[in-house]
Amino acid sequence: MADITLYHWEPNANSGKPMLALEEKGVAYDSHYINMLEFDQHQPEYLAVNPQGTIPAMTHSKLVLTESTAIMEYVDEAFDGPALMPADPRDRWRVRWWMKFMDQWLGPSFSMIGWCTFVGPSLAHKSEEEREAMLARIPLPERRVAWRKAMFAEFSEAELAESRRRIGKGVELLEEELGKRQFVASNAYSLADINIFNSTYMLPVGNADICSPDLTPNIWRWLREVYQRPAVQRTWAKGSGRFTDRFTAVMEDFAA
Amino acid sequence: MSMAILYHGEPNGPSLSVLAALAESGLEIECRAISLRAGERHGLPEVSDSTALDFAVEGEGPVLVIDGEAMSEAVFIAQYLDEAAGGCGLQPADPYARWQMLMWCRQATERLSPAAAYIGLHASAAGEAALDTIRSDDLRARWQDWLDGRFDEAKLADSRAKVAQFCQRIEDQLADGREWLMGSFSIADLETFAWIRSMRTLEAGAFSGKEALNAWLARVESRPSVQAALARSTTGEPERAFAPGPEINRWG
Repeated sequence: MADITLYHWEPNANSGKPMLALEEKGVAYDSHYINMLEFDQHQPEYLAVNPQGTIPAMTHSKLVLTESTAIMEYVDEAFDGPALMPADPRDRWRVRWWMKFMDQWLGPSFSMIGWCTFVGPSLAHKSEEEREAMLARIPLPERRVAWRKAMFAEFSEAELAESRRRIGKGVELLEEELGKRQFVASNAYSLADINIFNSTYMLPVGNADICSPDLTPNIWRWLREVYQRPAVQRTWAKGSGRFTDRFTAVMEDFAA
Repeated sequence: MSMAILYHGEPNGPSLSVLAALAESGLEIECRAISLRAGERHGLPEVSDSTALDFAVEGEGPVLVIDGEAMSEAVFIAQYLDEAAGGCGLQPADPYARWQMLMWCRQATERLSPAAAYIGLHASAAGEAALDTIRSDDLRARWQDWLDGRFDEAKLADSRAKVAQFCQRIEDQLADGREWLMGSFSIADLETFAWIRSMRTLEAGAFSGKEALNAWLARVESRPSVQAALARSTTGEPERAFAPGPEINRWG
């Protein structure tokens, strides 16, 4: 019987981070699926949990936690199970550095491309009126601006080019980093791996031009290792459609 | 501890918070003052791994070099100092209280610091760095805008609004009479104070009538660690020292 409820979308990017962290810790939780493409996150029922209307969110007894990376840190500290932060202070610093680099620099670039190529088109069948009504329910003004751009394909070519540049540079830096240690940030699997895997597990499918066994051997070695973790496999088995399909496609490649 | 050197700018913004955190920790780490506005951060000796220096989201912040590895991001350096000292009280032990502190710091670094840095740069004479030493394209672009005097009016207006909002947020947080932002003193106080201190003159209107905010500012400033950090100023006016900080959110 869990007194933990996780409100999440698919095992992908931000929603996947606490899903995987809880799975790695062996912590049972009640799953509350939020269909992001139907804007469940802006419905009154969810806004009563998180008034900001962002996902994921987690409740632990009476506590409400938001922001995926900060939720993961809480999960690691509050529950028993294998440590997901290294003990050495410098390794801990490096875990935090890479998570911020992903959350605030590289991740938003992945998102912009993802929203442009997947999220926006997924909403295109809705009428303009319907989309405007969905936008009007978004509590945070900056999220409203971002969603508008995705819905009406308003990202400029310059913005998209800058995002593509950052993805190329970020992958290059990650390749270098994984040449230094077994995992991102330290020699032990940590929250940094969980964070970064959630935004890079699909690179072999979506960005084969910059990520391959030849171009990025260190990333490849690391992806293969993380993909095979039981907690990772259990987490992606909880997903649906496109996300689990992509995961399975890469997994078959690694197993071949 | 291994060979460690803290390279810091004038005690303002991230350099101020890290210098104060170091004093709180009691660790003996050599401090070397550099000129951030002259781009000296991009030519540090004895750095063999510069990734975190070159690609810090924070922009021109202090750099702690240990065994050749450059460490950046003020909040995380402060956490490192606290943990390397075996816990000097800069972070709450309770997981939920720690989550609250991290959420506060994230708001400060994502909303307050880009705004304060932009306003501060706008008020400063352009720096003098050799831009070809800067490896990050987007940080170099922020430098170029500064050198060319190119400021976006909409971003300035938004930055002023964000500073005013943050002042109100602090006032509200302190409304229950607490002494420090998170109840007990923490990195949240240092990081917030370090970025907002310079705004007292540049955005004075945002502070007027906010008694709890102004009393808290005086309390943080009077801490010996903060006094020690401010005493490291070589210009006597650290609140006027700026260099390109975090970028304004690309998503609007």
